[in-house]
Amino acid sequence: MTSYLEGEIVEEEVEFSFVELCRVSGASEEQLSMWISEGAFEARGARPEEWRFSGAALRRVRTAYRLARDFEINAAGIALALDLLDEIDALRAQSKPSNLRQR
Amino acid sequence: MKYKDYYEILGLQRTATQDDVKRAYRKLARKYHPDLTKQSDGEERFKEVGEAYQVLKDIEKRAAYDRMGAQWQNGQDFQPPPNWDEGFEFSGASNEEKTNADFSDFFEAMFGGAHAGMHSRQRQRHDARSDHYAQADDDLEGAYSGAPFSAPGQDHHAKVVVDLVDAYRGAQRTISLQMPAIDAQGHVKMQTRTLNVFIPKGVRAGQHLRLAGQGGAGLGGGSAGDLYLEIAIREHPRFRVDGRDVSLDVPVAPWEAALGAAVTVPTPDGSVEMTMPPGSSGGRRLRLKGRGIPANPPGDLYVVLKIVLPPADTDDAKAAYETMRQAFNFDPRANFHG
Repeated sequence: MTSYLEGEIVEEEVEFSFVELCRVSGASEEQLSMWISEGAFEARGARPEEWRFSGAALRRVRTAYRLARDFEINAAGIALALDLLDEIDALRAQSKPSNLRQR
Repeated sequence: MKYKDYYEILGLQRTATQDDVKRAYRKLARKYHPDLTKQSDGEERFKEVGEAYQVLKDIEKRAAYDRMGAQWQNGQDFQPPPNWDEGFEFSGASNEEKTNADFSDFFEAMFGGAHAGMHSRQRQRHDARSDHYAQADDDLEGAYSGAPFSAPGQDHHAKVVVDLVDAYRGAQRTISLQMPAIDAQGHVKMQTRTLNVFIPKGVRAGQHLRLAGQGGAGLGGGSAGDLYLEIAIREHPRFRVDGRDVSLDVPVAPWEAALGAAVTVPTPDGSVEMTMPPGSSGGRRLRLKGRGIPANPPGDLYVVLKIVLPPADTDDAKAAYETMRQAFNFDPRANFHG
């Protein structure tokens, strides 16, 4: 009988520590700390060892990692690019006729 | 094998300077980067300009490429002339930041020998930095990225496309992932790996599924990495998906819209009965609460009314339209001219 692997939905069931988030995204610890100090990502917890990131951070950190790698963008530029991408997403969602008027 | 015109791909003349090459590449890379564009062929184009840049930015490779001549057309059948690379020394000296496993056959044949001579130190660098996109087969598409060969317990990433009905009901799916691996000759080759996976009910596009221990194998007793599957939902001819909400167009007759009606509406998970209120206009959106993707909380299903006119193709039909005209005194363009 075939057995099927059961996964967790990262955005709903998973939290990452700082080290885990580096590992899963491919970013170095130095890169990720720079992005955090630019305000690109927010963590719960006071000290870096206690930091916890929501599963939803995964997608953004991977985008940050690829942009930094492919365009050699520094931390301030990454923070700016992520903000602008969020804004583009929000504008796209608004300009769609769907789901706005009746929410 | 098809010839690749790297100059054409970057929009350059053959006389372009190295600065021109870099500038053209940067501009096109920003345009087609998968994180920056919504164009469906962005990833493909990004790969193509990346390949062109790998060759043209390197003056040795560029000179060898130029020596094949300018008479070739992009996509033309091509065999490299014997000893075309005589006198050039780029093979075996590459420590490119990305592996080129998914570049074209043309690239692989002309410049792909570089992997054979990679030193282990460079390989480790490769591991840490490589990131692949590739296609997989039939039912599900996979894109694979991650570190293929030696680092202990790396996490891997891939993309899978599932049907909307899978997100509604959950599903068992067999997916194929293309992963790069080094063969006996030292070449990077794509290998296929098959996995049986539960697609959980309620999953949405853009979410990731974590499969513990299915990433890179650990060395020296280290634990294996995890595999992250990014979910995409296949385009459906009828349903449009927006996050957890789904919408569809439903054709209705003018009298149904005017007088109200009970309409059977298909959903990805079977049909439901919907009451359409009287006085509905075309384009009106009716919400079926909780009939979207069954996430927590569940999304909604939006029904967009499309009023369809019956053809006036019989005497009776024409008479009915005539009766309407007399009954209504209706000017659809009353507000048309300011």
